[in-house]
Amino acid sequence: MKSFFQLIARHRVLASTLFLMIFPFIMPYEALAINILIFGLFAMGFNLLFGYMGLLSFGHAAFLGTGSYLTGIAIVHYAMPWGAAILVGVIGAAIGGLLMGFLAIRTRGIYFSMVTLALGQIVFYGFYKAESLTGGENGLRGVRVDTFNILGMPVDFLNPMIKYYIILFVVVLAVWLISRILNSPLGAVMEAIRENEKRAAACGFDVTRTKLLVFILSAAICGLAGSLRALHLSIVPIDSLHYLQSGQAVMMSILGGMGTFFGPFVGAAVMLYLEDVVTTFTKHWMAVIGLVFMFFVLFFPQGIWGTILSKLKLNQDSK
Amino acid sequence: MPMVEGEFFLSKYMTGLTFELLCMQLLTGIALGSIYALLALGLCLVFGMLNVVNFAHGAFFMVGAFMGVYFLGITGNFWFSLILTPIATGVLGLLTERYLVRPLYGRGIDYPLLLTFGLSYVLIEAMRVTFGIEGLPSVTPDGLKGTMDVGVGFFPKYRLFLIAATAVIIFAVWFFIQKTKYGLIIKAGAVDQEIVKVLGVDIAKVWLLVFGLGCAIAGLSGILASPTRSVNPEMGIPILAESFVVTVVGGMGSAVGAVVAGLLVGVVYSMTSLFFPDLAELSIFVLMAVVLLIRPQGLFGKSGAMG
Amino acid sequence: MSSSNQTPILEARNVSKSFGKFKALQNVSTTFMPGSLTAIIGPNGAGKSTFFNALSGAFPPSSGQILFNGKDITGMQQYEFARIGISKSFQITNVFKQLTVHENVRVAAQMETARYNFLRNAQSYPEPIELADQLLRRVNLEHLRNKKTGDLAHGQQRALEIAMALACNPSLLLLDEPTAGMSPEETLVMMDLIRTLANERTVILVEHKMKLIMGLCKRIIVLHHGEFLAEGTPEEIQNNAEVRRVYLGQG
Repeated sequence: MKSFFQLIARHRVLASTLFLMIFPFIMPYEALAINILIFGLFAMGFNLLFGYMGLLSFGHAAFLGTGSYLTGIAIVHYAMPWGAAILVGVIGAAIGGLLMGFLAIRTRGIYFSMVTLALGQIVFYGFYKAESLTGGENGLRGVRVDTFNILGMPVDFLNPMIKYYIILFVVVLAVWLISRILNSPLGAVMEAIRENEKRAAACGFDVTRTKLLVFILSAAICGLAGSLRALHLSIVPIDSLHYLQSGQAVMMSILGGMGTFFGPFVGAAVMLYLEDVVTTFTKHWMAVIGLVFMFFVLFFPQGIWGTILSKLKLNQDSK
Repeated sequence: MPMVEGEFFLSKYMTGLTFELLCMQLLTGIALGSIYALLALGLCLVFGMLNVVNFAHGAFFMVGAFMGVYFLGITGNFWFSLILTPIATGVLGLLTERYLVRPLYGRGIDYPLLLTFGLSYVLIEAMRVTFGIEGLPSVTPDGLKGTMDVGVGFFPKYRLFLIAATAVIIFAVWFFIQKTKYGLIIKAGAVDQEIVKVLGVDIAKVWLLVFGLGCAIAGLSGILASPTRSVNPEMGIPILAESFVVTVVGGMGSAVGAVVAGLLVGVVYSMTSLFFPDLAELSIFVLMAVVLLIRPQGLFGKSGAMG
Repeated sequence: MSSSNQTPILEARNVSKSFGKFKALQNVSTTFMPGSLTAIIGPNGAGKSTFFNALSGAFPPSSGQILFNGKDITGMQQYEFARIGISKSFQITNVFKQLTVHENVRVAAQMETARYNFLRNAQSYPEPIELADQLLRRVNLEHLRNKKTGDLAHGQQRALEIAMALACNPSLLLLDEPTAGMSPEETLVMMDLIRTLANERTVILVEHKMKLIMGLCKRIIVLHHGEFLAEGTPEEIQNNAEVRRVYLGQG
């Protein structure tokens, strides 16, 4: 069993890709699987900053939402093709990350969490008020991409299975990118800063600049998740930008395991699946997830995946 | 545009901006700001002593509002409710600290924050279950209904009461912290917990008390605010964000900052809603962003501590 | 003591530091020559740590200047100090607890080559890895390279920190109480290491243990109440009436 997990750890991107290719067949319906892909990516992007750098941001919904809205606006108001629309979403989110990061990184510890929450709300209210572009309270509607043109071949995006595999392709690329970043020298510096900022600075690393760089990367990945979400749902709900949405990324990371590579994805899958099941027989999902989350914070801070890994004693490069 | 004596035309939203109107709006801002000041003060106390940001602060505010209306409903007496409510939320706070937050102290600064965030979800849902998702109709207590002539116009009596009441409460908290021996212990403990332990004080009791006090203040803010807004389970959600804005503007850990910034934020909100009603919510967040840009430690925060 | 035809590697000019109303340092001026091994001593509260922190870039002085090889570096940030060749170890061991011993030094070593690259695999850069190997051998931690630093003995962690401080090839090394909390055996090992290091670069120590310093350093600076009190060879310091009065029987 242990060697199986070690094999996975060494080829984590490949392993997860293979698993995700059969994933829609074990989920009750494709839309749930797609949602898990999207929010798994969102949580992983968030976790770059949280689990690997130790910065708890409560404003990351701003990037998910910016990605969604900009992609949606590009398609609805400017009739851009899907590829360009996604690019617009990602770049917009990255710029947002630069701005929010620049303001927030001057603060530390819990102050950082408060500031990012409040800065995220600026984005929320901003998009809310820009009604003509965003649809305000009702969200943006009509983000319809019926057919994708991939290398000249038209692909039916409305088919849920096809939609899943297209989104999977993008998510796999992004996850591969995250993996590369974590294995790179920057990844090592990130962890060093998380472990001991003073020592990292004494070694010559510009801590502020590194934090900002990772903030931007994290925002871009969350923006990509948002862009995909807009294409998936064909609408962009205004709640995408609210801090409760940011809280969802936090919860997914803790549930799954914030110190690990797969953890946030596992957390997203568990949380969304659980929501799907629980909401069929109760309206009080909010209380359920609140209690589950508190339980994990108190008793299982390593999260599901983190606990599994540490039980198998795979903590070095356990991501 | 011709200037008529006593009136000036400013934006297309205004048909007659007068000095009186400005004063009234200022007063409204102070009333709103009083609530913010009280809320931020509660947050600051808990942070100063326990190094914990209570992400359920807005939820406790909301619970306080519900408790207030509920107690008013069963006792018929606003003053009773005003006393019972903070006791109720305070006790809830005591239980929270003792059983949910305390186990997390050694772990890392983020954990209590995360826990209280989860707690807020449970509190919101609890109120939905108890009082319904629509909430309760807000009630202005009988003696404080109607308006009063304040010289520049007729201003709601309740809001005047609000300003006065929060001033008294803030003064009481100040007095408690600065002038009583319990307050001294709290202040000392905020600076150095070891010293307090060495002096034979059970530091755990202090944590308990301070957290409970913070939640009591949140609940008190809730009942005080309840006649001025709709009482529903979601009312605390934006309040949390607004409390953070006040804290950032005032300076983390500064009680004076909390009060001054609270009033400032209330006034900014109020004045903006006069000239640019659409942008009122946005304006206070923009204020915060500006403060972050030029003075990251806040108006009264210590330089180097944060920035 | 200083040769007038050589630029001091480090110079403090009228350095003062206040924390609010508390004056931790007042007008301390001194120079350090290249290749020297100097100890900064003083009774508790003398301002040694504050002086150390100001010299090593932890914070800027409230007033005064710090010069490195004649260049004014006052106000530079911590990471910039490391980049120009000033490295330090902390009084309380500061290492990367969740990383292995080898990873700790490798990260420190990647300042020169890989730095912030985020697309290439960190393992594909041979230089930081080789440098880390070398440094670990130097401080005798090679055999523990895959252990988590949290699992190391106290003395070993301090040795690790020295290895990390050496990774950026500093010309000036500042050590804050390097033997703090060490057993006598560990202390001897550390002293040997410092002696060899002093042969290749300039070293400045803050130390408490007088016996150690007397046998190790050729120059001692004494601070008292945040002010410069005296400097000289160990013999001169021991015979200095003021110093004796200030210490009054302390080891």
